[in-house]
Amino acid sequence: MSSVILKTVGRIIVPFMQVFGIYVVLFGHISPGGGFAGGTILGASFIMTKLAYGNDYCKKKFKFQKLLTIATISILFYGIIKGYSFITGGSHIDSPSLPLGHPGNILSGAYIVPLNIAVGIIVTITIYFFYSFFDEGEV
Amino acid sequence: MGINSFPLLMILISYILGFLGILFYKNNISRAISTITSIILVILSGFLLKYTISNGEFIYNAGHYTAPWGIELLIGNTEAVFAFLFSIIFFIVNWYSFDSLKKEIEYKRIKIYYFLTNILIGSLLGVIFTNDIFNSYVFIEIGTLASCGIIVIKNKRDNFLATLKYLVLSSLGSGLFLMGIAFLFSITGNLNMSAIHREVMNNHNTYTQVILVSTALFTIGLGIKSALFPVHTWLPDGHSSAPTTSSALLSGLVIKAFFYLYVKIIYRTLGVELLEVQYIFKVLLVLGSLGMIMGSILAITQSELKRTIAYSTIAQMGYVFFGMGLGNKIGLVFAYYHIIAHALAKSILFLSAGAIVNENGNKYINRVNGIGKRLPIELFAFTLASLSMVGIPMLPGFVSKWNLASEAAKTNSYFLVAIVLISGLLNAFYYFPIVVRAFFMDSEKEKSDTKPLFNINRALPIILLSIGLVYVGINSEKIINIFLSGF
Repeated sequence: MSSVILKTVGRIIVPFMQVFGIYVVLFGHISPGGGFAGGTILGASFIMTKLAYGNDYCKKKFKFQKLLTIATISILFYGIIKGYSFITGGSHIDSPSLPLGHPGNILSGAYIVPLNIAVGIIVTITIYFFYSFFDEGEV
Repeated sequence: MGINSFPLLMILISYILGFLGILFYKNNISRAISTITSIILVILSGFLLKYTISNGEFIYNAGHYTAPWGIELLIGNTEAVFAFLFSIIFFIVNWYSFDSLKKEIEYKRIKIYYFLTNILIGSLLGVIFTNDIFNSYVFIEIGTLASCGIIVIKNKRDNFLATLKYLVLSSLGSGLFLMGIAFLFSITGNLNMSAIHREVMNNHNTYTQVILVSTALFTIGLGIKSALFPVHTWLPDGHSSAPTTSSALLSGLVIKAFFYLYVKIIYRTLGVELLEVQYIFKVLLVLGSLGMIMGSILAITQSELKRTIAYSTIAQMGYVFFGMGLGNKIGLVFAYYHIIAHALAKSILFLSAGAIVNENGNKYINRVNGIGKRLPIELFAFTLASLSMVGIPMLPGFVSKWNLASEAAKTNSYFLVAIVLISGLLNAFYYFPIVVRAFFMDSEKEKSDTKPLFNINRALPIILLSIGLVYVGINSEKIINIFLSGF
């Protein structure tokens, strides 16, 4: 699968894809994009790596167990943060929460940024898993 | 944080703890986490039930936004009773799975099973509690995928085929349900059930066709998921090939939650006053009657034990749809009561059938001869549950069938009464032969292995369910009053 052209181009293009993906995740609440859109871009960069460098390299680099743990921690983080927000909002509990901040700043909009980051990580890993499953039947 | 927030907490706990099990990724830890989840659910839903019985129904806003924008949870007596029932059966089935899973599915997949059941129970509770129609769609999707997962987890050829069938048909159901939502949204501009009802009451004269179409879409979409007669075809394969505990969960809980969602949509979202909805009741009456008769006849013709029980589910869901199709409050209440009766009885039947199949190593009915001597407790519970299915007094099946028949008699249609009675008799035709074979016929094998086998993780859950079944039968009046006061 891997060729010299693919490797050379991949080495150049993957960092840009990742930077753009991270940008879309982080600016999701003030511009078009968000966790899911950014996550797919990041996942595409993972798939690009896999195409360029082959399965063996990627199996060493992205271990199934490690990726699964990271995704699960992100889901747990999402569930706990959003659940906390739901419960305190629904029960009218005046407990500490993240500040809303100034509209237009990156660090604004209370829980949206951390939740977007969690979604971005989950989608990245899921997209990569999907590709691996369809490509060779295992991760 | 009062009891008000318990419903949301129950959903969150089952999801979050389920993922905690994936994080540790060990069988024992996953099992412990799932058991802890079920115990927490039983405790919380018990408090919830006590609270709603004394205080009546209440609305909980999830998050910071109120009704038309945010998501509402509406918990009345019925919801609380079903949540309690589901939690208890989930706990007991979990307990039973300690030993049985090791025999049925691969070792490395056990942790995934516990994760999936946690997700499943969370989404079922969500379907029951939510008062937002799109939120219910999301929960339906999660629940469907999780239930496909617990069928295919056995990794056999039958399971792949059954799961594919289930996946395709229930995706179709979800799609139709979504179309129904789209039609309703286009004429009301709301997704909250109470708000939709308010809008529909204002403009139903303008949009009669749209309401009729969306009612039909909901009926077929949720009918597929809750095994309404002509669209039940996925059920026998799925429920009979799945591992024992999955079958008990699928047959006992999953289809009931979708039925309750259907009731919520017909009664709370569209409103029974509408003429278009009244047509649907007649359809349900016919399909329910057909399901009662055909489900039983198909069950008689089966030669596999679990398949017979799976076809029986279709017949019993026929009663539930029949009760709803009577179109009045009493009919619906007895449909609810029948859901409880069937959930308990069918869990017992599947769990004890699983014990029989595992012990025999053979899934056919003609090999159960003499198993009653080896598994006395399981077969006694099986007999009790089948008596309830047939409708013997003192047991819950009798209460619901008797009252459904007398309710049908009030409509002056003796044909309907005859159908209820005939279906009860047909139930006897396929349950009693199994019991007779198991207790009174001699095994073909040598007589050395007729010693009673006792396994505490297998016997105690079944005994607990049997006690629950008898309790529900004896206290039927109390339970029906809880339902009636919820209207």
